[in-house]
Amino acid sequence: MTRLAFHKSLYAGKAVDEAVKLFATHATCELSETEAAWVVQLSAPDARKELRVARELGNFALGLTVQSRQEAA
Amino acid sequence: MNLQLPALAPRLDVTTQAFFRFRQVGKKVLITNYEGFWALLTPEEFERYATGTVQPGTPLHQRLTDNNFFKATYDTRKAADRLWQRRQALTQGPNLHLLIVTLRCNESCVYCHASRAGMDQVETDMSRETAERSIDLILQSPNPNLTIEFQGGEPLVAFDVVKHAIAYANEKNKTAGKQLEFTMVTNMSLMDEEKLEYLLANRVQLCTSVDGPEHLHDGQRKLPGASAHMAATKWIKRINQAYADRGLDPTLYRVEALLTTTRDSLPLWKEIVDTYVDLGCRALFLRPVDPFGWVDKTARRVEYPREDFLEYYRNAVDYMVELNLKGVQVLERYAAIFLSKFFGNDPNFLDLRSPAGAGIGCLAFNYDGKVFTCDEGRMLHEMGDSSFLLGNVTGSSFKDIVSHPTVRSMVLASNLDGQPDCINCTYNPYCGTQSTHNHKKFGSVFGRARESTICAVHKGIQDYLFERISTDDPKVLDIFQKWTTSRPRTHFLQPPTA
Amino acid sequence: MNHTITTQLSNGTATFSVDPSLYPLDALYGAAYIFIDRCFVFLDKDEAGRVVVSLSPKKGPADEPTLQSWAGEFGNELLSCAWRHQISAQNRQVLEQVTSLALAGAMGPPSLDDLSNFDFSSQPLEDPLGIAMSWEEKYKKKTPAAAAGTPAVAAPEAVKP
Ligand code: SF4
Repeated sequence: MTRLAFHKSLYAGKAVDEAVKLFATHATCELSETEAAWVVQLSAPDARKELRVARELGNFALGLTVQSRQEAA
Repeated sequence: MNLQLPALAPRLDVTTQAFFRFRQVGKKVLITNYEGFWALLTPEEFERYATGTVQPGTPLHQRLTDNNFFKATYDTRKAADRLWQRRQALTQGPNLHLLIVTLRCNESCVYCHASRAGMDQVETDMSRETAERSIDLILQSPNPNLTIEFQGGEPLVAFDVVKHAIAYANEKNKTAGKQLEFTMVTNMSLMDEEKLEYLLANRVQLCTSVDGPEHLHDGQRKLPGASAHMAATKWIKRINQAYADRGLDPTLYRVEALLTTTRDSLPLWKEIVDTYVDLGCRALFLRPVDPFGWVDKTARRVEYPREDFLEYYRNAVDYMVELNLKGVQVLERYAAIFLSKFFGNDPNFLDLRSPAGAGIGCLAFNYDGKVFTCDEGRMLHEMGDSSFLLGNVTGSSFKDIVSHPTVRSMVLASNLDGQPDCINCTYNPYCGTQSTHNHKKFGSVFGRARESTICAVHKGIQDYLFERISTDDPKVLDIFQKWTTSRPRTHFLQPPTA
Repeated sequence: MNHTITTQLSNGTATFSVDPSLYPLDALYGAAYIFIDRCFVFLDKDEAGRVVVSLSPKKGPADEPTLQSWAGEFGNELLSCAWRHQISAQNRQVLEQVTSLALAGAMGPPSLDDLSNFDFSSQPLEDPLGIAMSWEEKYKKKTPAAAAGTPAVAAPEAVKP
């Protein structure tokens, strides 16, 4: 199980949602929220794949956040 | 000489000067303003200017006034005219249209991998329909002057497509009414008398590659079973003679040749210039290698530090100046472009302007109908990066293509008034950056000028030219002035068709 | 790298923190974005409010010099983005004018087909950069004084090279 906490002041919630949807077929993801972060608990059949999915998901969430800011500008 | 600015600081005065940027060049200080006027000052003159103590009525005061460096006498009209001279081409739309009629090539060059295909890969030939759709789009450019440049691969491999494209463009131009020109970039090795006759009859301007003396050229450009150098030089001479036979001015109508400077070229600057002079070529374009179209392994073989390139450049241009002093007419293209800009006659060279010409001044039409911002964008696509793909000749309108978000981003990113470093650079009015290069090297179309090899080359060349200008040698200045004279080659314009 | 960015290399990842009071968030995003095609990039915040950036290799493990050079390049890009951010804000009017001039020039005047296909009922033109908007419309949130500022490039004062 890998826990990713996306700080709310750095990542757009919608971007994290979108990224999770994109990777739903590669890992099981559970979404929750703390005061400061959007939290994704992620598990995949093997540890290597889990780490890779977690990192790819992080990139997507960041990329989509940046794009959403550009569109809003 | 070193500028002692801290020592000047207590006396600096910023109330009398109009906006300017400055840079030490040799023993002088170069100042330029926003619109592109410049002056070379001695350190003492610069001190007077910086401290607001230039006496009215002195020659220095007059020189600075004439070039719009004082706030009190700032001539807005003059500034606007100069700026407009530089910017007017921006409003005209794409002029240069590259038609990649095939990727097949019969030569293999050390610096070219991704943008060529083997001779059996006929699927990389452009179809007649794609050529027609490309031309339909090209003729929609609002620019009244259009150049269609046939490229490859080797365009002579797909000569039928070239002929079809020329016939179709001329036919369609009867209603479009553009001033049309055709050029072809070819290695010449597949040239024959019949093809040449057609190209001459259809006023197609020819451009080839000559990397320097035979051993250098043939070491870099492999033509199976023959010498690539001999193939090129034989036809250069033949074509130059054919121009003369047709009564065309031999000082104006000649085959243009381009060279790619690799690591092996650097010590051979004299031999390279001599090769061009012996061939009767009057212009060399001393361009460094760029990072397109090859794999990283090749880069290690052909690349070099830019200081080495600049030393080669200085040696070669010094030698060309020497030859000119002896009556041999030969010029260096980079120098001619920059000097024209310094003297207020911007030639609108697409890679050396702000914003750059990709997408708004030129378009590249690939063999398969895909349209790119420029040839470098197309080459990146062949290497698996389609960031500069704008559309397709079958599905996109001309306006879709030129208003593509990628074009907008490139226009913004290549505007030097938005770039760190460039914004404060003395050479800002004359310079340019390339978004494709930045994207490849830095991962963003903006890039970072301070670390860019293109910036290093542009800065180094401009330093060199201003250093030579600063010596006030009238003979050198006369040569430089001549290098900026451009005479139109009207023979290459297609005859009016309407 | 100065005291505002400190780098740690562990487990094949370069981690460093950035003081957000010195670098605008847009600059941080700009720098992070250009790294996402070669690294896995993750942003976080530490207790002191500094943004923590982690860069891990996409392909195979990265050696220490590579990680160091990524961190260094990130620092350069961050500075460049921050500076560009400031220049764009100061010169926005000039940059937009030149951009719209160039794009309008490239497109040419509307053809008869364009005019007859024009959809009067549609929403404002698709205009991601806001080029078609008036200055007031685009920057109405700004104070009039800020909006009226002269572009820096036209400022009649000396600048250093
Ligand atoms: S690219 Fe380099 S030389 Fe050219 S304006 Fe920018 S900083 Fe100056």
